[in-house]
Amino acid sequence: MLTALILLPLVTALLIAFIPRDLRFGIRLVALAATFVNLVLGLILFLRFNTGEAGYQFVENIPWVSALGINYHVGVDGVNIGLILMGVVVAFAAACVSWEIKSHEKEFYILLLVMTGGILGAFASLDLFFFYFFHELALVPTFIMIGVWGRGEDKNYATFKITLYLSAGALIALVGLIALYLQLPANARTFDVVTLTNHFAANPMSANAQQFIFPLLLFGFGILVSLWPFHTWAPLGYGAAPTATAMLHAGVLKKFGLYGLIRIALPMMPEGAKHWLGVLALLCLGNILYCGWVAMRQRDLNLLIGNSSVAHMGFAFLGIASLTLIGVTGTVLVMVAHGFLAALTFALSGYLYHQTGTLQMDEMGGLLRKLPFIGAAMVMAMLAGCGLPGFANFAGEVLVLFGTWKAVALPHPVWLVTAAAWGALIIGAVYMIRAIRNILHGPLPAKWTAVTDAGLLTKVPYALLLAALLVFGCFPRLLTDKIKPSVEPLVKMAAGPVEKPAAKGVAAIHP
Amino acid sequence: MTVTLEHYLVVSAALFCLGLLGVVLRRTLLVMYMSLELMLNAANLALVAFSRFNNNLNGQVMVFFIITVAAAEVAVGLALIVALYRKRQTAHVEDLTSMKL
Amino acid sequence: MTSLPWIILFLPLLAAAGITLFTLKNRRLSARLSISAGVIAFILSCVTFLHFRGETAPVESFVSWLSVGSLQIDFGVRLDPLSLLMLLIVTGVGGAIHIYSYGYMSEDRDFSRYFACLSLFTFSMLGIVLATNFIQMFICWELVGVSSYLLIGFWYERPAAADACKKAFLTNRLGDFGFMLGIILLWATLGTLNFRELAGKLAAHPQALGTLATLAGLLIFCGAMGKSAQFPLHVWLPDAMEGPTPVSALIHAATMVAAGVYMLCRVFFLFSAVPDAPAWLPWLQGLSAQGVIAWIGGFTALLAALIAVQQNDIKRILAYSTLSQLGYMVMAVGLSGPTPAMYHLSTHAFFKALLFLGAGAVIISLHHEQDIWKMGGLRQKMPATYWTFLLAGLALCGVPPFSGFFSKDEILAIAAAQNNVGLFVLAVFVAFLTTFYMTRLFLVAFAGAPRSESASHAHEAPRVMKWPLILLAVPSVLAGFWGINRFLDRQFAPGHTPRAGLWLDEVFAPFAHAPLAAMLGLLAVAFGLSFAWALYANAPADPLPAKLGALARGMRNRFYFDEVYEFLIRLTHDAVARLADWLDRWIVAGLAVRGTHGTIELMGRALRLLQTGNLQTYALLFALGVVVVLFFMLK
Repeated sequence: MLTALILLPLVTALLIAFIPRDLRFGIRLVALAATFVNLVLGLILFLRFNTGEAGYQFVENIPWVSALGINYHVGVDGVNIGLILMGVVVAFAAACVSWEIKSHEKEFYILLLVMTGGILGAFASLDLFFFYFFHELALVPTFIMIGVWGRGEDKNYATFKITLYLSAGALIALVGLIALYLQLPANARTFDVVTLTNHFAANPMSANAQQFIFPLLLFGFGILVSLWPFHTWAPLGYGAAPTATAMLHAGVLKKFGLYGLIRIALPMMPEGAKHWLGVLALLCLGNILYCGWVAMRQRDLNLLIGNSSVAHMGFAFLGIASLTLIGVTGTVLVMVAHGFLAALTFALSGYLYHQTGTLQMDEMGGLLRKLPFIGAAMVMAMLAGCGLPGFANFAGEVLVLFGTWKAVALPHPVWLVTAAAWGALIIGAVYMIRAIRNILHGPLPAKWTAVTDAGLLTKVPYALLLAALLVFGCFPRLLTDKIKPSVEPLVKMAAGPVEKPAAKGVAAIHP
Repeated sequence: MTVTLEHYLVVSAALFCLGLLGVVLRRTLLVMYMSLELMLNAANLALVAFSRFNNNLNGQVMVFFIITVAAAEVAVGLALIVALYRKRQTAHVEDLTSMKL
Repeated sequence: MTSLPWIILFLPLLAAAGITLFTLKNRRLSARLSISAGVIAFILSCVTFLHFRGETAPVESFVSWLSVGSLQIDFGVRLDPLSLLMLLIVTGVGGAIHIYSYGYMSEDRDFSRYFACLSLFTFSMLGIVLATNFIQMFICWELVGVSSYLLIGFWYERPAAADACKKAFLTNRLGDFGFMLGIILLWATLGTLNFRELAGKLAAHPQALGTLATLAGLLIFCGAMGKSAQFPLHVWLPDAMEGPTPVSALIHAATMVAAGVYMLCRVFFLFSAVPDAPAWLPWLQGLSAQGVIAWIGGFTALLAALIAVQQNDIKRILAYSTLSQLGYMVMAVGLSGPTPAMYHLSTHAFFKALLFLGAGAVIISLHHEQDIWKMGGLRQKMPATYWTFLLAGLALCGVPPFSGFFSKDEILAIAAAQNNVGLFVLAVFVAFLTTFYMTRLFLVAFAGAPRSESASHAHEAPRVMKWPLILLAVPSVLAGFWGINRFLDRQFAPGHTPRAGLWLDEVFAPFAHAPLAAMLGLLAVAFGLSFAWALYANAPADPLPAKLGALARGMRNRFYFDEVYEFLIRLTHDAVARLADWLDRWIVAGLAVRGTHGTIELMGRALRLLQTGNLQTYALLFALGVVVVLFFMLK
């Protein structure tokens, strides 16, 4: 079923290539139907997932090039099931939102579907080769989509910047991955993640090798996730990208690097990890604080959201740096929550751009009267972005904060790091609330009287993403119960034994 | 004074350098080409000298090959120069910079 | 029976969700949904109260919300005297205000949205009241903040309202910064977040917090500072008056701002830990969290009372009055008196809500006029409002036998009992000021002759607004006799034997119990009344600015706090943000990225110089290359 999930968008892309260009509505419908079916499949996968099991489920393993040890190996465990669900939801929402594309729809939807297939394959993949391959498969459409359908005067610069930067990051990571592959004895070399993990659990790599390979993976994957100071591609790129691309990239593809770190780097190179954690913690504070401050100065809504998105990634890195069960679980939850949030905010800003033709917040104002639904959705998204309880982001951030306090190997005082991270959410509140003030509140200027709210069908993607945020915000155990058993062995490999839960006190009455 | 191998090699080197200087410094294509021939002949001289003084006939055999190839090369090269002159109306090497980046 | 509090908690949430999703277009249905949720919640609260008030131990019921490793966060309900009392207050006052709003907001086009937000607020506030652990309280704390944001900014098209709600949310968030840090500190040292478990651990080992005791207490207090608008985070409350008056009554008088005090009383066991500070914070040594809290409370009370003396907007006067009374409550907590604090919170909820609702009736009746110097002569025109306002005002001033007298007296008594001369004197002075400005308000806005056209055409409030006034007047007058303090003693001083006696003894109990406090309190009231009468009875304009000059101007301009804060923020935070942006634009993106791009381009250009297209250059380079190779080979 997992293969069906990955192949469906790719096959549909091929199908669309055969549909005549003028059948615009037909093309849109086919793409929408494909992503919808994918959404249903993803939901079924999520619901059929056995909570509480630590191993991989829905595994499919087809040997391909045995000489090099490359197999088509896919499977889900607690860490990537949430990401896959998030991927299919965002893909469907992106397909809905792409109704605004008015030229070359055929090519756009083909690229969108290829990107979706690549993303899902990357998250489901348990073989390093396919892991990397699917990521590159998803990256190429990004380049084309931003280049052709992008907006703004910086479009070309942004396109090249994002592509070259991400390719550079992926290249560094590739060197690391190949180095990892070469660490295995010559006759047993394989790209299979499961085999690699088991091998390194039994025979850890030499400290030197770890301290060489870990930074390659850290910075390689880090660049992919806009780790400070390698972050400037993100706000610019998302600002110039068409809405669907921004949603898919900021929401989903960005998490690829974090996923790689959790799945590969942490468990296989614990010594290297501990050596570099101090640096990582500082850099992610850079993400959180520095990008928060930069976001405060932005006048353009997309740049604000882009910088805020980079700041949220800092939280995810912080959870990894803590090397605790709580912290890493928090990271995975932040990844899923942020995926929904980033997709939602970019979708909303895309709607605003479509209606008003501008993204400068000073020129907008008083739009809440004209856009009750979109405005309310925007208020909720902004509040979720600054960590309001009730949305999934809060649960993740709470876990990260608490996990950081109990951090295992940080050379800096934990209270300082935790205080700084939490303080950044206050900074986040400042610019989010200010954005609401500038865009939605205040008197309505005369030039915006023609703005209209979303119709019933147009509301679907926003409502879907909001619902996801609210569901996982009110019932975070839906995710954490799945994440925890899978993260436990990873953290154990990375940091040593996991702390025991505190003893529960006096018995209480349950409802 | 006996004429030894070194004398021949020095002459050959001198001829080679003269030819090289000609290639680098002369502006007319035809004279550059003649200098090129001079460099080839310098190599020939060196080969013959080595062959004579080391009593190894391989050097002189190689000279035959070189002379043949040189002749063929001159034929082709002169044809190219004539064609170039007809196209560009100039035989000065400074005017032929269409490969400049 | 334990499912009752769950129903009380979630009923308003269901109403809010229902209105938002389904009935936004139908005004009356939305209002009815919300009001019925509020009233049913009150009825159920009464039932819960009657059922559980006899319990000796707290009753808890919860589900696990998040459980990862040693972090166990539950979502539950906890019933003990404190929460039972607060439940009644929140649902009671809330229910009355729901009904009042039906009349007050009837002309508004966003009628349904108002009730949705009001129900959301009720749910959040009840969540704070019934919380079993810190994180649940924090979650509902934030939700209350959001409800307040939505309700203050209800008329968002007004720039003043939009700015006010932004300010409120951000100031609250600032307080929450310390709050969350305190919570994490407690969890890290004591291993649990549940109130009962925390209390148990601290009772068993008072030294358990070690050197972090004072710090933890102060950080937790930060949250209360934000929510209950204590100095220096008090600046948002007066601006919050931009919201509709029922909102001011419910949120910014009776319930939300009281949440800070409630929280402090809920975690009062924290402050029983031995005060201590870590070695690297030498200025904390010798301070106890309680001491700091008491002084901040006292200072807030004084500051707000002074400012209120020269305000001319009826809602602002009441807002500063609320600030001042909150200062009293916080001071009481700081003086180890959670019972007086909660007692005053309860009585204050009743009469302050009543004062605000009365003010709302006047505002509506005078066509949205809020300046007291344009009101006057309302006795004949609005008798119900007039008399209820008077009763509430007397209760606020602390005139016996109204409820405010008893609760305020307990606070004065505890200051005296703790031998804290400074705070006692301060409290008495603030009582004087309170009476002064309330008498000023009443004389100018209600008594005397009408001062403007609209005042002379005033009319009584409609029934749906009048009856909540009358309903709230009852507890404002009689709450002193309901034994609230005895009920609270069961929570905070379980060994305390209740004072038995006749009903009449209640009236004189304060005099018997703490005669100095009671007498001085009465004296302060008398002085305040007479001073204000002398200055303001039938006064055509305010005589104080002439008499006090610069001081009066300072009071009127709220002692320039907003301006100072704005300056400080611009100096520090905005500067940092500007620096970060500059760095980002010029160093990271400029130097690093474009720099790399530029360097590579420069290298390309340099290398290009070699590609002259000139045959002879190539030949020369070729020859040079051969020479170099030969050199290295023959070396």
